Amino acid sequence: MDNNVLKVNNLKTYFYTRHGTARAVNGIDFEVKHGECLCLVGESGCGKTVTALSILRLVESPPGKIVDGEVLYNNLDLTKCRIKRLRQIRGKDIAMVFQEAQSALNPVLTISDQIIEQIMLHLPLNKKEAHSRACGLLEEMGIPSVERVMNVYPHQLSGGMKQRALIAMGLSCNPQILIADEPTTAVDVTIKAQILDIFRDLKRKRQMSLLFITHDLAVVSEIGDRAVVLYGGKDVETAPVSEIIDNPKHPYTVGLIGCIPDISQTTGRLASIPGTIPSPLELPPGCPFHPRCSRVMDICRHQEPSYISISHTHKVSCFLYQ
Amino acid sequence: MGKSWLRVYIIKRLIYAVIIALGILTITFVLVRVGPSSPADKYLANLAAKGQDIAQVTAAIEARYGLDKPIWQQYIDYIGNLLRGNLGWSFSTSMPVIDLIKTHWIYSFQLILLSSIFAAVLGILIGIYSAVKQYTKTDYVFTFLSFIGVSIPSFWLGVMLILVFSVKLGIFKSYYDTALPLFSLENLKALVLPVMTLGTGMLAGYVRYTRSSMLDNLRKGFITTARAKGLPERTVIGKHAFRNALLPLVTIIMFDLGSIVFGGAYLTEIVFGIPGLGQVSFNAIFAHDYPVVMSITLIGTFMVLFINMATDIAYTYLDPRIRYD
Amino acid sequence: MTKRTRIPGKEISKPVYINTRLVNYYWQRTSRNKLAVFGLVFILFLILLALIGPSFTADPTLVDFDEKNMPPVGFTNIKSAYHIDTNEFTTTEIRGTGKHPLGTDGKGRDMLSMLVSGAMVSLQVGLIATGIALIIGTILGVLSAYAGGWVDNILMRFTDIMMTFPFFLLLVLIVFIFGPSLAFIVLAIGLTGWTGTARLVRSEALSLRTREFVTAAKALGATDKRVIFHHLIPNVMSLIIVIATMSIPGVILAEAALSFIGLGDPTVPSWGIILEAGQHSLDTAWWIAVEPGIMLFLTVLAFNFLGDGLRDAFDPRSSV
Repeated sequence: MDNNVLKVNNLKTYFYTRHGTARAVNGIDFEVKHGECLCLVGESGCGKTVTALSILRLVESPPGKIVDGEVLYNNLDLTKCRIKRLRQIRGKDIAMVFQEAQSALNPVLTISDQIIEQIMLHLPLNKKEAHSRACGLLEEMGIPSVERVMNVYPHQLSGGMKQRALIAMGLSCNPQILIADEPTTAVDVTIKAQILDIFRDLKRKRQMSLLFITHDLAVVSEIGDRAVVLYGGKDVETAPVSEIIDNPKHPYTVGLIGCIPDISQTTGRLASIPGTIPSPLELPPGCPFHPRCSRVMDICRHQEPSYISISHTHKVSCFLYQ
Repeated sequence: MGKSWLRVYIIKRLIYAVIIALGILTITFVLVRVGPSSPADKYLANLAAKGQDIAQVTAAIEARYGLDKPIWQQYIDYIGNLLRGNLGWSFSTSMPVIDLIKTHWIYSFQLILLSSIFAAVLGILIGIYSAVKQYTKTDYVFTFLSFIGVSIPSFWLGVMLILVFSVKLGIFKSYYDTALPLFSLENLKALVLPVMTLGTGMLAGYVRYTRSSMLDNLRKGFITTARAKGLPERTVIGKHAFRNALLPLVTIIMFDLGSIVFGGAYLTEIVFGIPGLGQVSFNAIFAHDYPVVMSITLIGTFMVLFINMATDIAYTYLDPRIRYD
Repeated sequence: MTKRTRIPGKEISKPVYINTRLVNYYWQRTSRNKLAVFGLVFILFLILLALIGPSFTADPTLVDFDEKNMPPVGFTNIKSAYHIDTNEFTTTEIRGTGKHPLGTDGKGRDMLSMLVSGAMVSLQVGLIATGIALIIGTILGVLSAYAGGWVDNILMRFTDIMMTFPFFLLLVLIVFIFGPSLAFIVLAIGLTGWTGTARLVRSEALSLRTREFVTAAKALGATDKRVIFHHLIPNVMSLIIVIATMSIPGVILAEAALSFIGLGDPTVPSWGIILEAGQHSLDTAWWIAVEPGIMLFLTVLAFNFLGDGLRDAFDPRSSV
């Protein structure tokens, strides 16, 4: 038996719009192991969020549709299982924490309404027990004066508090997998550090698997065990985080690492990858990265590279290594 | 948390309502004063036709109306009388206007209430359904029908319903039977066509408002959160989306009351001969019964003023995001 | 620093009706909405009907009691007659004829001619009254936004007061006091119907007032009058076009409703007046009430379709 709790195979999610078909996720493979933190990394628009939403079949449909691939949770294909079964898994076995707590929380319901609702849906607890469980979770998130926070509406809380409440909500049914979609993007730096601490604690204490979505390699290096680099709706490189940082293979990953500003260096321009991420409406033929790649070869322009393993844990999809 | 800001807000809102009320009274007073004929003129013509001494009657009526006093005195008297609930004397029915209104308001009220319930319940349900099924055939059909509904002139629809259901099919009576007790099944049956007449436009409007308000909210992040929690779609839509969609909806529904519903009820009453305030005003127009027409417009206006104020204050309780300082 | 820089927003500060690029763009967006195109076509048809129709149809005031209550083509009606000489009461079935394709009313007047001349009334009322309301509303709205302070306060409280009046009840009162002449009805609708425009224009102008091109114009020494008439008003034009299209149906209906309750101009054959007469003869001649109502309904529907299409087209957020 492998210890994969979640396995995503060749996932393709397309959006059918007036302007054409947007191939937002175009064949992504990865697996999340028990108790690990897997990071999905990439620029905005590379398909990270759509991947996360596709796992729980939360992509708005229409226009979005999972056209191919499978998402295996305990050998159950979430893309095809009955919606009733999926609802039992959503929020209970696999929970999600969204990017902007401001919009992810319902403005006309109190924090306690929103957390208790989820607990009572999945766990055999009465309202009182659910309430005390919710209070315990908020406390664990480091929220002061829990009783007060329970009874307020989201707009009465600061950004950091909202994000913590949202994480507490995600954890409320003790999920096996927590998917966190850029939970640190909308908050400022000090709060970001605190929230990362919370996630690190969770991983250690609860032995749960984390699927952490971010564009920030600094965050990856802080909490990730392994990372999957996405580009143009595909995964281009998978490796343990230390490998990715110290020994990146794919030219795109190399470029990303080069973009991290070094705080000790005060002079000079910031490095950047020339060009922009391709529109999912018009993905280039061949390797999606070839128009921006500094080491582009002829073959890259019309043939898609396949995934190859360069070590036991390191896989890359680039013709340079084939 | 202290609710003192709420008390301050309510007091401010009341003062504002008083200012608006004064404005309304002033405008109506000015309208009457700049009008081409004095309130008594038409009535005088009637009396003269019966062979009474015009000069004597004119003096009597002018004194009664206070038209012989200076204009500022008339203005103060006008407001003072209204404040005391003295709406004047109805010539054509020979009774105080206030009594006339007391006997007839219930007919307007039942029509508006039943139509509102019919339109709101059905309109909100169809609107939600249409929004959830956006871009499906059913949605297109409902959207198209709602366009037709808002475009049908209510009084014409009433006439058409009479043509089809009473003249051709004979299912309903074409005229409202005033002898029926208010709380009876017969009365309810007599109100079917009037409620359809007044309610169709309202219904179509509510479908459109509900649909667009729901669509706004169904795209929000908290809907995805709710789905990610594993909630059934019924709860996601009914609890999470609809509760957010409801507040703007209430505003529009309340606004419609003054701008569309009162006028529609007026016409519906005339089409079906329902003896409500619209019918009373209609009869008074032909009898040139000045104080009645004026009073009924004023009552409608003050109803709107009161409803607006009540909605605003209710909002501070209903919408947790609102805080007026 | 001699290089000229383009003032942001200059492009859109041209009025919509001169800026052909924008007009093309909006037309493309509107024409994607089939219902809006239908609305526009019907409105153009109606205008044509009102303008040249009367020269092709019979005199709408021509009374002919021998031909009263003639049904439209394709329908039949029972005509009863009492013959004095034979002292008999006879009923004959009459069919609609090509002479009166839409039938005749209780006085034998041609329905088609009456409907055609009614179209002119409805259009006149709709366009002129809406025009008056828009001019008042735009001026008050821009003034309120531009002046701010106590001027804004007074104008907006006045708007609130006018908005509190139920539109139709106020109209009934005014027409009752001043008497039902068509010119006065139009004026009354225009003078009471400006409140929504004033509010919308005010809020639009408030957001425009702080935009760069207005600041730039002021920095270049433009007078207040110039800023208002050359910068603010042209930029609220698209909003005004939408409001106009959306408020015309209400105005047409208001006139018809006034006519329907007997407060219409008795000298003008408007659809509402025909309809009012028709409702009393539903059992003998149903078409008299049906036909003007259908015209009213289609006209209102057409303006609603077009208004909806235009609003979506002008709304940058909508993905039409």
